[in-house]
Amino acid sequence: MNLFYLVAFLSIFFSLLVIFTKNPVYSVLYLIVTFFTFSIHYILLNAQFLAIVNFIVYMGAILVLFLYVLMLLNLNKESEPMKSNLLKVAGVIAGLCLLLTLAGSLKLVHVSDPVLLKNPDIGLVKNLGKVLFKDFLLPFEVSSILLLAAMVGAVLLAKKDPNNV
Amino acid sequence: MSALITITVLALILLYLGLFKASKALLPVALIGLVVALVLSLMEWGANAEPIFSRMMLYDHFAVAFSGITIFSTILILALSKDYFERISSNVAEYYALILFSLAGIILMVSYHNLSMLFIGIEIMSICMYILAGIKKKDFASNEAALKYFLMGAFSTGILLFGITLIYGASGSFDLEMIKQYILNDPAGVSPLLYTGITLLIIALAFKVGAAPFHFWAPDVYEGSPSLITAYMSTVVKTAGFAAFLRLIMFSFAPIQDFWVPIIITLAVLSLLIGNVTAVYQQHFKRMLAYSSISHVGYMLFSLLALNGSSDNAVFVYAAAYSVASIIAFGVLILMQKQVGNDSFDSFNGLAKKNPFLALTLTIAMLSLAGIPLTAGFIGKFMMFSRALASYHVVLVVFAVLNAIVGIFYYFRVIVAMYFKQEDRKELSVPVFFKFVLGLSALVTIVLGVYPDFIAGLI
Repeated sequence: MNLFYLVAFLSIFFSLLVIFTKNPVYSVLYLIVTFFTFSIHYILLNAQFLAIVNFIVYMGAILVLFLYVLMLLNLNKESEPMKSNLLKVAGVIAGLCLLLTLAGSLKLVHVSDPVLLKNPDIGLVKNLGKVLFKDFLLPFEVSSILLLAAMVGAVLLAKKDPNNV
Repeated sequence: MSALITITVLALILLYLGLFKASKALLPVALIGLVVALVLSLMEWGANAEPIFSRMMLYDHFAVAFSGITIFSTILILALSKDYFERISSNVAEYYALILFSLAGIILMVSYHNLSMLFIGIEIMSICMYILAGIKKKDFASNEAALKYFLMGAFSTGILLFGITLIYGASGSFDLEMIKQYILNDPAGVSPLLYTGITLLIIALAFKVGAAPFHFWAPDVYEGSPSLITAYMSTVVKTAGFAAFLRLIMFSFAPIQDFWVPIIITLAVLSLLIGNVTAVYQQHFKRMLAYSSISHVGYMLFSLLALNGSSDNAVFVYAAAYSVASIIAFGVLILMQKQVGNDSFDSFNGLAKKNPFLALTLTIAMLSLAGIPLTAGFIGKFMMFSRALASYHVVLVVFAVLNAIVGIFYYFRVIVAMYFKQEDRKELSVPVFFKFVLGLSALVTIVLGVYPDFIAGLI
């Protein structure tokens, strides 16, 4: 239990750092640490598959992509768009709305009954695979259409047209 | 199910045809395949529908009817596509394949029985639409449309997913039937998570169908996309989005009506007001159609106000009437843009003299969209208003009728321009395919308007 509180504190601490650092590259690096703490959470919950996927896909692939995009964007003070007063007012109003909603929902909060998993091993790769290839077989198969369509589209948009060059 | 497989395989075949440079065969193969898919899906009518594939899909009458109308509209739109895509680039096979992939997603959206299927269906459809909106790579408006649609769509997908997660957290299931059971078991003690989830789902689906106040993407995207794709978006995609909306609400959330009915009323009122009032100020036909499609979403939302056996019928008739009439309007728009190069209302001046057939079909379409009796649009509006009256929303119906009158104003501008403003102009040449599609659509509009029982009692 103490480990959970430590990791939870670290997640919140690092995710706050993500927002408050000025330098976008540091921000992404803190995001990596935040995701790493999430992976620890998953392991604590006995969800090993999620932990590994989170580690490989989010920490590994997606955040490296983030870093690349940041380097390509060439962010500096001059190229930053002007922040008009109207935007600031809109931001304040939106933030207050969010605060109001959070306060409202916190009023409804109560301590839930301790959740007992029927099957504590449900997050293991074997069980997850069984669910994926048995109950969720159709969505799994149909996702192939999604991936194929996305691939065809990406090639279509990125390819040079020989006619028009 | 067989329709889904047919459409997916058909898309793959088209990709291969493109690979082997058989560009002449693309359109015939696509049309024949779609007709086969239509027949196959209609053949599942009447069978005692059971959820299939571990309760993932349910091919009931609702699903058959809506996949029927979406496939039928796609056939009509593809028939208009002869020589259309060739003018954009030589990758015609991919365009057809993407349209068919999105249709496969739509089949999932109208027949899902599990929220994960809804999500995948919406994603397949949307990804194809983002790409198709931007296929005119050199055209700035088309690029803008694709990017805008993609960013807005990605946000709404995130909201949808968040909503689904919260509903799963509350009810412990993705299955529509189980969610309903969870609500029915203890209607008073439903977890607040569920309400948040429903709100988020409604927001996301309102984004997808373009209901105000979540309509900001719609006019620019509709205007910037190639006209044929706009026709597809505003008929097939909209019908599918609405079918998914209705299916979710009818299956699962009917027991807690008191919560979501005010949200739907707000959406409907705003859509009607914003759609109709801004459409009046438009000078271009295509942009006018974009705004008027927002107002039609407002009318369709009425069907959710009093849920019972005939809500799905009302949406079905309205969607059919709206799709067919819009296909005529976009067909004429495509001819206009190609041969006149302009789609302002002035460019319609004197069309009736030179192209009486075009003018007649477009008049029928406009009358139907405005909701004049003896056309399908009237029957659709009538059924929607009677749904709203069934739950005593009298003020709302009065408001909607006032809006319908505003609608008549801007639809009639086209008719007035065609018949009463004289101008010397060249005759537009109308290809055979266009004649067939426009004639058939006009015929369907009239037949449904005179004899609505034909489809009104179907589902």
